[in-house]
Amino acid sequence: MTIAWRSPLGAVLLLLCALSFAYLLLPILVVVVAPFGATGYLAFPPQGWTLKWYAAAVSDTRYLAALLVSLRIALASALIACVIGIAAAYALTRYDFLGRRLLEAIFLSPLILPTLVLAVGLTLFFTRTGLLQGSWRLIAAHVIICIPYVLRVSLPVLRRFDRSLEEAARNLGASPFAAFFLVVLPVVRPGIVAGTVLAFITSFDEVVLALFLAEPGAPTLPVTIYSAVQLGFEPSVAAISGLLVLATFMVMLLYHLLSAFRRQRD
Amino acid sequence: MPILLFAPCVLVYAIFFIWPQASLLAISASSKSGLSFDQYARFFGDGYYWEILGRTLGMGIAVTAITLVLGLPTAYVLARSQSRWASLLLLLTTFPLLVSAVVRSFGWMVLFFRDGLVSRVLLMLGLIDRPVQTMYTMTGVIIALAQVLLPLMVLTLHGVFKSIDRDLEYAAMSLGARPAVALGLVTLRLARGGIVAGSLLVFSLAISAFATPSLVGGARANVMATAIYEQTVELLDWPFGAALAAILLVVVLGLSLAYGALIEGRGELEAPR
Repeated sequence: MTIAWRSPLGAVLLLLCALSFAYLLLPILVVVVAPFGATGYLAFPPQGWTLKWYAAAVSDTRYLAALLVSLRIALASALIACVIGIAAAYALTRYDFLGRRLLEAIFLSPLILPTLVLAVGLTLFFTRTGLLQGSWRLIAAHVIICIPYVLRVSLPVLRRFDRSLEEAARNLGASPFAAFFLVVLPVVRPGIVAGTVLAFITSFDEVVLALFLAEPGAPTLPVTIYSAVQLGFEPSVAAISGLLVLATFMVMLLYHLLSAFRRQRD
Repeated sequence: MPILLFAPCVLVYAIFFIWPQASLLAISASSKSGLSFDQYARFFGDGYYWEILGRTLGMGIAVTAITLVLGLPTAYVLARSQSRWASLLLLLTTFPLLVSAVVRSFGWMVLFFRDGLVSRVLLMLGLIDRPVQTMYTMTGVIIALAQVLLPLMVLTLHGVFKSIDRDLEYAAMSLGARPAVALGLVTLRLARGGIVAGSLLVFSLAISAFATPSLVGGARANVMATAIYEQTVELLDWPFGAALAAILLVVVLGLSLAYGALIEGRGELEAPR
């Protein structure tokens, strides 16, 4: 230990750290807890106790429809981004050629460029060219912002991969495809799964591209929540947000328990 | 073989990324008679838009400052703690990133309203003498946005602190440096590159954020992102909206080039082992 946590300096650091966590988690706690309040408006801490707002959120067909739209778009975007991204990541780590770094930088650049700018450009582009129909416009846009996440996670895993394993398979007579699917893929699979999960969540949570490009009449869940929040402060909007937070928490917990379990087994 | 592996990715980027962005720039700089910078002249000739640009950059600076003040100690404690809770806490830091910015902003809205928790706590502490409305103010936007972006700062800095050998701090202290001095002269100095990189990341995401300023700030806190939305979706002035978007794009692109240069050069800033 370099700094004693009990020294004044250590205490200040720990205090700021605790403050950070309170700050990070407070607004999330609010959307989960506030809808339990019995008042007709949202209050935190809640007054009284009721399940009626959560019940109202679950039985509201608008939210259910939006949830299904979001799940469908996130699933399609994540799978497409995963296949395209892994192929590119494999080539980026496998071959060295002129402009490789530039290509990698371009592939990663949607991470930092404003999605709003992307959304304006894509809306103009789609209306002028008439390319793609229905929800495919939003899926195409989400693929662009998902690929960087797939690359970010899979590039380091593929770089660390011991290439002599693949060469051994090739020497023993495996085709390049067989070597990839039988040797490379099983080793780098955790990275690929993590990248795809991240891509799914990115698409599922995204609101700006969805505001511009979602099919009219079929908004995604974040867009539905965004519009509802702008209109008013209904406790049922908080309840659906709270359910979303709880579901996300469960998925994260399950994912980490599973990977911890797998590490222990190996 | 390699070309075939690249082809889908390059194609998708060319059609849905490069082409739309290029035509966005083209639309912003053209009129019926050809090349024209009228839209830009309109932006830079109007004090109202200068104000919006200034407000956006100011918001970026404030958000970056808050995430640094909270992010540095948090990342340091998590990187140096030997408790097994540290990895769990790091996981907890990433959790807010998985929750949509819309939902997190909504949480702040509940806290910010006139009789919300923020106002009541401030009253109780005696800092104010009547209820305040943080909702629909720039202060509110900054507080909410800093929370949205804090996890990214903590994660970036955590990686940087982890890569700095703690023996270096040890050495400085055994040579007589007080802990605070060792932290400042050794750790923070070595982390300099990472701190600048994290700040650039948070700054560029802050100035391009839309959901939080639009929900928490409303019409009072007009920033570049909300102005672009207003011009395009509400006023249907797409050429001017495109020009606003292009200006934001150029600012962020400039910052990210600086960020890229720093990431490339980080090897030199790292401590020799």
